[in-house]
Order: sequence, then structure tokens, then C-alpha cells
Amino acid sequence: MKLVIDERRCKGCNLCTMICPYRIFREGTRPNDRGIVIPELDRPERCTNCRLQGLYGRRLCGVCQMICPDQAISWEEEKPYEPRKVVIEF
Amino acid sequence: MSFKDWFREDRLPHIFCTGCGNGTVINCTLEAVEEMGWIRDTTVFISGIGCSSRAPGYITTDSLHTTHGRALAFATGVKLANPRLNVVVFTGDGDLAAIGGNHFIHACRRNIDITVVCMNNMIYGMTGGQGSPCTPPGAISTTTPYGMCEPVFDLSALAVTAGANYVARWTSYHVTELTKAIKVGLDTPGFSFIEAMVQCPTAYGRRNKLRQVSDMVTYLKTHALLLQKKQRMEEEGETVPADMFAVGEFVRRDRPAMGVLK
Ligand SMILES: Cc1ncc(C[n+]2csc(CCOP(=O)(O)OP(=O)(O)O)c2C)c(N)n1
Ligand code: SF4
Ligand code: SF4
Ligand code: SF4
Repeated sequence: MKLVIDERRCKGCNLCTMICPYRIFREGTRPNDRGIVIPELDRPERCTNCRLQGLYGRRLCGVCQMICPDQAISWEEEKPYEPRKVVIEF
Repeated sequence: MSFKDWFREDRLPHIFCTGCGNGTVINCTLEAVEEMGWIRDTTVFISGIGCSSRAPGYITTDSLHTTHGRALAFATGVKLANPRLNVVVFTGDGDLAAIGGNHFIHACRRNIDITVVCMNNMIYGMTGGQGSPCTPPGAISTTTPYGMCEPVFDLSALAVTAGANYVARWTSYHVTELTKAIKVGLDTPGFSFIEAMVQCPTAYGRRNKLRQVSDMVTYLKTHALLLQKKQRMEEEGETVPADMFAVGEFVRRDRPAMGVLK
């Protein structure tokens, strides 16, 4: 699964940067053509849901999607699916 | 299926300001509704007037956007006319506690089988930031330029005292807990009241040194005190800071309810 932010919906509130336990969302730096600074994704393949949704058959973690007040965060199927080696730092 | 399927995609993005907590509370409510397995044809969302009350307009089910403060009166009518419907009310602190205060008390007393989700942003957001019954002491609003001098209305305590079957309070930061609480509320026969403390960076934060979205969310996070912890502090004789509010489940009981199908 691939984590995506819908640029037409995001208003740049940065709530996602506060809540993700892996700090995958980082405050953006450049405004887009609508003048909104969209957060950047820092190695999104670390996301619990990206890695394990397929295995468990349900959404895991997902708090960024729940807190996003503008319904901008979702996951897309990746094809072909490529398992990746993920290094998790503690 | 996920809560996203309940949104009217054609109406999004919604009009709430950047970082407004109302959007989060709608997500949590729809997630709880989805987990309950409810269907669109028998679920109704009802609201009064205010930013928070615009929520049903973004949801695919039938809904009623009623006059200011009267959401509970309309909801009572809908539920009694057709008890098979699942009725959920979205409301704000001004809508529920100020102009709609009497409807609130009597809906709790009747213990009618509906679920009320109150987005308490401690201010009248839609009309530009007048003080509400939930504005904390000392807070600046357009009607309290020298700081609020009245005590706040504890809506959850009011609902417990007036007879609601289920009462809980969380904040828009506690998304998992809030979703669980709303689900228990939907599942409980009788009146369920879930108070969600939300950030309003535009009308409240801007005047109270919490201009950034993150500042106001951090305020909610740091001022929320777990109910169990509060009780422990009280038992041990510690003083609970006056500006903190309790979060958790305040009551879950089985008083005789109205509008429940036998
Ligand atoms: C009878 C009536 N009186 C006053 C108003 C003006 N009015 C519109 S919204 C509002 C306050 C809403 O505050 P709240 O319920 O806290 O919702 P919020 O916008 O903060 O989410 C008021 C006073 C109205 N629409 N109708
Ligand atoms: S689902 Fe959880 S881990 Fe994945 S990006 Fe969202 S908050 Fe981070
Ligand atoms: S929480 Fe949603 S709207 Fe806010 S910055 Fe993140 S993706 Fe954008
Ligand atoms: S005024 Fe406040 S409550 Fe209304 S949409 Fe803006 S942030 Fe939300």
C-alpha cells in the first residue's frame, strides 16, 4: 500500500505531523499552486498500514487518516507490489 | 468499506477553516457508524446552526439542518415518528448549551434513544467569536474583551445529572478513544451524549494566544485529565488545576428509555 495526500483537499493544517508515531509527515516548505503548504512524506514505506494492511486485511494504526480534518489522507494499492526491507529505528 | 464512503464527495472539501477540529469529529462519528454496520437508509443526521452543525450536509444520508438550538426537538420528533431510524445529532456548544439548553435537559430527562455528538470549541465560531456558556474564565472573545468572568457550563456533568444513559468526553486529538466512545453511545439504548473538545483556531485561538492549529491542539491535549487520574488526585487530597477538564466515560447505565423498539 502507498500513502498519499490528496492535494486538492489538504489545507496544510499539519495535524498529521503531530500525530504520526513514526513522524512520517513533515511540515512542507513550498506552497503549491493553490497557495497551500502540503506536508512532505519522510520514507512513507515505514507506515504500519502501508506494510501490514494487506497481511491483516484491515486498516492498522490509521490515526493520521482519522485526525485529518479534510479527509485528504488515504492509501492506494501498489502494483506490482514490491516487499521492501524496512529499517525501524527506536 | 471505510468512513470515507459516507462522505458526499461532491461537497468536499468542506468550508471549515484550516485545522478546524470539526472535520476530525465527523471522521470519528462516521467511523463509529460504519463499525456499527448501520446503513444509509435508516440513519439520520440532525443538526442546528453553527459551524459544527454544517456536518450533516457533507454526509450521504438523509439529514435535517434545523433552526438554531432546536436540533434535539427535531430529533425527538423523528425518533418518535419512526423508532426504527438511527438518529445522530451534531451540535455545537452554543447550539446545545445556550439557545438549546432546555431541549438538552429535557432530552436527557426523557432519555430518548438518540446519540448527540457535541463539538465543544468553547466559542460561537460561525458568528465570529462571541463568548459561549463554555468559554473558559479569562478567555478573550468579542463579547468578553476583558476576559470571561463567568464560570463554564460542564455539559457532561449536566447530562449525567439530567439522566442520560451514556456520557463521555474526549478531545479531537484522542481520535481512537473518541471513536470508541461514540460507538458505545450509538450502541446504548437511551440518550447518549459525547462531548468532543475541538480546536477553533479562527475564532478562539486567534484571540487567546493559540493562533497556530498545533497550539490549540496542544492546549486541549495538555488540559485533558483522565477521569481515573482526577479521581485518584481527589482521593489523595491533591488539588486538581481549575483549568483542566476531565476526559473519559462519566456514566453508562440503564435507565428506562424512550423511543426504543420493544
Ligand atoms: C435564533 C438564532 N439566533 C442567533 C443566530 C446566530 N447564530 C448563528 S450560529 C451561532 C452560534 C453557534 O455557535 P456554536 O453552536 O458553538 O457552533 P460553532 O459555530 O462554534 O461550531 C449564532 C448565535 C441564529 N442563527 N439564530
Ligand atoms: S497510519 Fe499511522 S504510521 Fe501510518 S502514516 Fe498514518 S499515523 Fe503514521
Ligand atoms: S492533516 Fe490532512 S489537511 Fe492537515 S496537513 Fe495533514 S493531510 Fe493536510
Ligand atoms: S470558525 Fe472555528 S469552528 Fe468555525 S470553521 Fe473556523 S475553526 Fe471551525
